[in-house]
Amino acid sequence: MNRATSVAGLAVLILLAVGCQKQASEKDDASNAAPRYPDGVLRLDRAPGEKGYWDSPSELSLAEEGAKVEFDASGKLRQTADAAKVAPLQPWALALYLYRQANEMKDDPMRSCIGPGNPRAMQTPGGVRIIQDRNLNRAYVLFGGGNHGWRVIYLDGRDPPSPDEVTATFYGLAVGRWEGDTLVAESIGFNTRFWFSNGGLPHTEGLKLTERFTRPSHDVLHYEVTIDDPRTYTRTWKASWNLKWVPGDIPEKYCEDDRE
Amino acid sequence: MRSLLAAGLLLIAGVASAQEGFPLDGTWRGERPAAGSTAVTIVLVLEWDGQKIAGVINPGPKSIPLQDMQLIPDGWKVTLAAKDAAGNTISFEGTIADLGSYHRYIDGAWQEGGKTYKVRFVHE
Repeated sequence: MNRATSVAGLAVLILLAVGCQKQASEKDDASNAAPRYPDGVLRLDRAPGEKGYWDSPSELSLAEEGAKVEFDASGKLRQTADAAKVAPLQPWALALYLYRQANEMKDDPMRSCIGPGNPRAMQTPGGVRIIQDRNLNRAYVLFGGGNHGWRVIYLDGRDPPSPDEVTATFYGLAVGRWEGDTLVAESIGFNTRFWFSNGGLPHTEGLKLTERFTRPSHDVLHYEVTIDDPRTYTRTWKASWNLKWVPGDIPEKYCEDDRE
Repeated sequence: MRSLLAAGLLLIAGVASAQEGFPLDGTWRGERPAAGSTAVTIVLVLEWDGQKIAGVINPGPKSIPLQDMQLIPDGWKVTLAAKDAAGNTISFEGTIADLGSYHRYIDGAWQEGGKTYKVRFVHE
């Protein structure tokens, strides 16, 4: 075998290997792709015949995107001096946040089985499902954590409500739309009976949230929230995290005071 | 049925036990001594708009609008200033206590008509 033949043979082998790898990769991509409805709309929940839900948030406490702060699982800051970095808090809100942190979050309403509200529910372990009701043009978001609350995102093209006409609730009134593969929900009308984050970030009834739900792959839900509450924060701010797809059903559990 | 009732009571108890949002928002009720053994009820209705605390003393036909109210987070001090319909000055200086509770309270000195009274306002 001369040298030219050897080189040609090697080239063919390399091409075959690359081809196989590409084929395997395409197969993996296809099986890991986010499921869609027949008309191409992204499914944020189970495909037919599948069981699963979202859980294991990549961030366990709320902080502004890019903030270099560390929390424990309960939302307690590792360094109290980092409190001002968590979010652009007004002075009263920073003082209240520090008070709650110093008290080990003992007044957290969730300890009395009060709902986590939004966006804390998206960081509360226990499972989340986003069920798209395409007949009624709305999405239901069901929470397995906390007190098993649920909320509705209206997708029927209605205008956002007037703040004066909304009864304040834990999850607010959300109006949504699809922007490509992203579900965008805008909510107002929050009560102040819940803590905004497990660490005790405060909010007022002036809170407005803009949430963006995307599913970059079958196993990942990316959640981004923009927080606009000029009574509590000096400017709008943003946070984001991922949730993982967990096969099976949301585990059943009951909430009791100070324990779950 | 009994467990549902218990759950409902727990929910109510929980709602009533937690402090949320801006610490002065809402309705506060206190009493100052009056002639004899009677007392005069004082009700404050307060709302934070992100810049200032607005509100009234004793809402109703004879309500008195606040001229100024401040919350100083360092120590949770509260000050209030108002003038009644006759132009008499009313003022209050106090400190929020039991901040983490829905029924937090403000103990302080209420000045009205040239007299000073110890008053406790409780959040309702």
